[in-house]
Amino acid sequence: MTERETPMKILISLKRVVDYNVKVRVKPDQSGVDLANVKMSMNPFCEIAVEEAVRLKERGIASEIVAVSVGPAAAQEQLRTALALGADRAILVETDEELGSLAVAKLLKAVVDKEQPQLVITGKQAIDSDNNQTGQMLAALTGYAQGTFASKVEQAGDKLKVTREIDGGLQTLELSLPAIVTTDLRLNEPRYASLPNIMKAKKKPLETVKPADLGVSVASTLKVLKVEAPAERQAGIKVGSVAELVEKLKSEAKVI
Amino acid sequence: MATLVIAEHDNAALAAATLNTVAAAQAIGGDIHVLVAGQQCAAVAEAAAKIAGVSKVLVADDAAYGHLLAENVAPLIAGLAQGYSHVLAPASTNGKNYLPRVAALLDVEQISEIVAVESPDTFKRPIYAGNAIATVQSSAPIKVISVRATAFDPVAGEGGSAAIEGVSGTGDAGTSSFVGEEIARSDRPELTSARVVISGGRGMQSGDNFKLLYALADKLGAAVGASRAAVDAGFAANDMQVGQTGKIVAPDLYVAVGISGAIQHLAGMKDSKVIVAINKDPEAPIFQVADYGLEADLLEALPELERGMG
Amino acid sequence: MWHYQAPLRDMRFVIEEWLAAPADWQGMPAFESLDGELAAQVIEEAARFASGVLAPLNAPGDRQGCRFENGRVTTPDGFPAAYRAFVEGGWAALACAPEDGGQGLPQLLNAALLEMIYSTNHAWAMYPGIAHGAYECLRAHGTPELRERYLADIVSGEILPTMCLTEPQAGSDVGLLRSRAEPAADGGYRLSGSKLFASGGEHDLTGNILHLVLARLPDAPPGSRGISLFLVPKLLPDGRRNAVRCDGIEHKLGIRGSATCTLSFEHAEGWLLGEPHKGLAAMFVMMNSARLHVGLQGLGHAEAAWQNAAQYAAERRQMRAVRRPPGRAEAPADPIHYHPAMRRVLLELRTLTEGMRALGYWTAHLLDEAEQGADPARRARAQGRAMLLTPLVKAFFTEQGFRLASAALQVFGGYGYVQEYAIEQTLRDSRIAMIYEGSNEIQANDLLLRKVLGDGGAVLRDLLEEFRAEAEVAAICPDCAAFAATLAHYCDCLTTAAEGLAAATTQDPERPYRAAGDFLRLLGLVALAFAWLRSARLAAGRGGDPFYAGKLESAAFFFAYLLPEADHRLALIEASRQPLPFLPE
Repeated sequence: MTERETPMKILISLKRVVDYNVKVRVKPDQSGVDLANVKMSMNPFCEIAVEEAVRLKERGIASEIVAVSVGPAAAQEQLRTALALGADRAILVETDEELGSLAVAKLLKAVVDKEQPQLVITGKQAIDSDNNQTGQMLAALTGYAQGTFASKVEQAGDKLKVTREIDGGLQTLELSLPAIVTTDLRLNEPRYASLPNIMKAKKKPLETVKPADLGVSVASTLKVLKVEAPAERQAGIKVGSVAELVEKLKSEAKVI
Repeated sequence: MATLVIAEHDNAALAAATLNTVAAAQAIGGDIHVLVAGQQCAAVAEAAAKIAGVSKVLVADDAAYGHLLAENVAPLIAGLAQGYSHVLAPASTNGKNYLPRVAALLDVEQISEIVAVESPDTFKRPIYAGNAIATVQSSAPIKVISVRATAFDPVAGEGGSAAIEGVSGTGDAGTSSFVGEEIARSDRPELTSARVVISGGRGMQSGDNFKLLYALADKLGAAVGASRAAVDAGFAANDMQVGQTGKIVAPDLYVAVGISGAIQHLAGMKDSKVIVAINKDPEAPIFQVADYGLEADLLEALPELERGMG
Repeated sequence: MWHYQAPLRDMRFVIEEWLAAPADWQGMPAFESLDGELAAQVIEEAARFASGVLAPLNAPGDRQGCRFENGRVTTPDGFPAAYRAFVEGGWAALACAPEDGGQGLPQLLNAALLEMIYSTNHAWAMYPGIAHGAYECLRAHGTPELRERYLADIVSGEILPTMCLTEPQAGSDVGLLRSRAEPAADGGYRLSGSKLFASGGEHDLTGNILHLVLARLPDAPPGSRGISLFLVPKLLPDGRRNAVRCDGIEHKLGIRGSATCTLSFEHAEGWLLGEPHKGLAAMFVMMNSARLHVGLQGLGHAEAAWQNAAQYAAERRQMRAVRRPPGRAEAPADPIHYHPAMRRVLLELRTLTEGMRALGYWTAHLLDEAEQGADPARRARAQGRAMLLTPLVKAFFTEQGFRLASAALQVFGGYGYVQEYAIEQTLRDSRIAMIYEGSNEIQANDLLLRKVLGDGGAVLRDLLEEFRAEAEVAAICPDCAAFAATLAHYCDCLTTAAEGLAAATTQDPERPYRAAGDFLRLLGLVALAFAWLRSARLAAGRGGDPFYAGKLESAAFFFAYLLPEADHRLALIEASRQPLPFLPE
């Protein structure tokens, strides 16, 4: 196999979400979770996406990293973090609406059309909505190959070899480029941004566009009727025998 | 109204998650068809035809579908979906991989990992890692849904006699290819990410007795942990400690064996979804947090439990 | 597990609102390009570093401690790697000048960084602890040759400096020290003597260590006017090992991961820093930032204690509460943070911690203004205020840090006394800050005798003017008017107390020494009242946001429950009229 002659351009898509360490609380009126004064951060899977792109660039496989986020103006903070970690420039698709995965994928498709990256890397799911959809949907809209839940990404000539976390093991695929990769936890361990790079990131370009600029309608067919706290643990019971325990675990708790 | 359920399988056998997914389809109501996409998967199709409540099985047998590559199966499913009100797949890594691609091809939004069906258009699903449950209503013409299998009781795998019908799709999209697979990692899962954790305490009496826990853990694909008392007593290695100063775990099932339930230990496992406590002492505080408590001699209960899991 | 989440929201409140620092930065040429957003990002990344890298090493480092073998010190597992990550992240150079390879950021941001480092790992923090002070000292007093040789390596973190002051007979009284320095033919000096309590005097974090050593020249006058400052490296420029030997490390109550060394100098080669016999003045450059930083240790411990006690109290259920928050159902046992006694303790933890954060960051911001401000008059005023506040921050914060760690430990009950809930480590680690870098008693004397009575009360008056100005502005706000009147009242009391002590001094020169500790605590309380009044004014009318609602609650709690201690301190200052008997010899 031959090495790619020109290093590729990578687009990373990231989401601003409630910080991983925050224990969220449901609002009393069940309209959602309470996000007032809650610390927001980059989605952990997206951090892994940024790290992977930076590593590909450090290995000479990537030439340019463009970070993009669909979200509120405050998502600039997360884009700045991506710039401090090694992205070259950033695009914010600014919207105050909480968009579903399909709308986000359509907006990203518009950005992909403009930027023409050879590889898009994004987190496998956001830890707020837990949808696990955007990367796959973007792949459908662009017609690109998809390597979801990646735990290893390697270059193989003009293709990409992606090892995926699947139920009970690992699967390896070869993808034609351009392609879309979504990250799983074991892909890498993200680095910390260094202070000099934070300072430099301030000077890197960050462009803001609106969904309307991209000609994308973000109407949704999904309506959240209510958000509740999960049922509290009920008072436990004592079982009389091992057989009864096994029976309860199988039929009642359904955990085995 | 009709639902298309995408079967989970390995070309040889139908996976149990399919039965749970059919159960979700029954909760929605209407006709239920099952699609078996695979390669030389006739046996799977026959098994699917026997599922109670399924009226038709569609089989797409093609080398391109052998590994359920999303690039290949998504257009197949999207093409078939036009005739259905709902398309359901288990939220397995397969389903999670191809289903959003299907939804996008259909230009509809997907509802991920439902845990309850409220009505044909309204569903419950966990968000924020299960810290909240959202009830969502969809007005999409075709509802594309992934199903958390454990949330639905499986339907019977026998008793049905659905017609089997061959279908075909566009085959290989040519953008991806299967290289290899490595199934069933032999090593035990990591404590902090394991779905099941079995921990031993001072009540295990010796490090030697921990092999009873390992035997049970192997049956369940579980990780093995220990209380600090067991670590201090030398029964278990330090990195197995669950608790305030050890690892914090929140598995689906936590089995505490011979652990009294000191608050330091509870701090490390209290967020587990289901807690089982086995202890000789009826007054052990662990029983107060356990969903299921069993007062028993550990050395007798553990082998029995292991056999029961078989 | 010891948990730590950096109080980023409150840090931003203090920096952006309480201090309105970004507006001030615009007026300081060195910080022109800095804005609130960039500052917030710097702090957020620093928080990731502190909680991701340093916090996990805190308890294990305490249990493992340092090992001493054959003159070598091995620090706890992970300490050297964490130091490399710290240096590679550029954190060591945060507030150093760009021309020296630093990032040129304000002391204010360094204060936020340090608070988080002290919250997460005080022992580890001791190693780079005096690097910034040594940098400033070398920059101010080093010859061009010495600066050329060492400045960049200190900024980059390649070399860690130590401070070698204490000797067996010379603790608080450095004038008693005996280490000697003799001029050598090469223009340098040869140092001999024995030093105690040198933090990081030997370790495995860096290859070379730069000792800043106080010693006497042969012609030195006795006492503190005969002390000179020298630079003595562990490894000489030609690679030879210098004649500096580590004879052992202390086994301590706390900060066990920090190597506290006994060092022997045996004709060790070194160079003079600054003028002969003016070593204390040269060292003074580092003392001010060092004392502020020690004060931030108290803040860091208080924050860690508050967070962990709050979390435990929300989860631990014991007894039924007299009242519950609205909407909470009865339960066989309630979370202990429903109980009034626990609410008192937790509110005290929160209120004092947040109040100290405002005051500590203010002091750092004043140092920035003093150094970088455009207007000479404002610079001088900022310098005066910072000098006055420094001993207060050092002594008041560290005393509160230890006291609050103890209060937090009480929340944990018996579990607080066992090792698994690391609050006992916070208690032990926080204790040293009351002792070192000038004991709190020395700080109290410095504050009252030198900083207040020494200038006839001029700087204190200026500080109180700032407090009174806040009281005037806040008096207009209905939520704050009562607090404003109370602050104005205590400003008057403080003035009267200071004047009384000044007047009494001629008759009874020992009197201010008997009152110094209480005077310092009184000023601390009044300064906190100022901090809480301003916070309340900024929060007024924004009670719909839980953050500001909390500020208003804390302010009300402070004025009702904590400020009355000022009356007690005033009474004790009055009581200091009575002479103290001597103890039997």
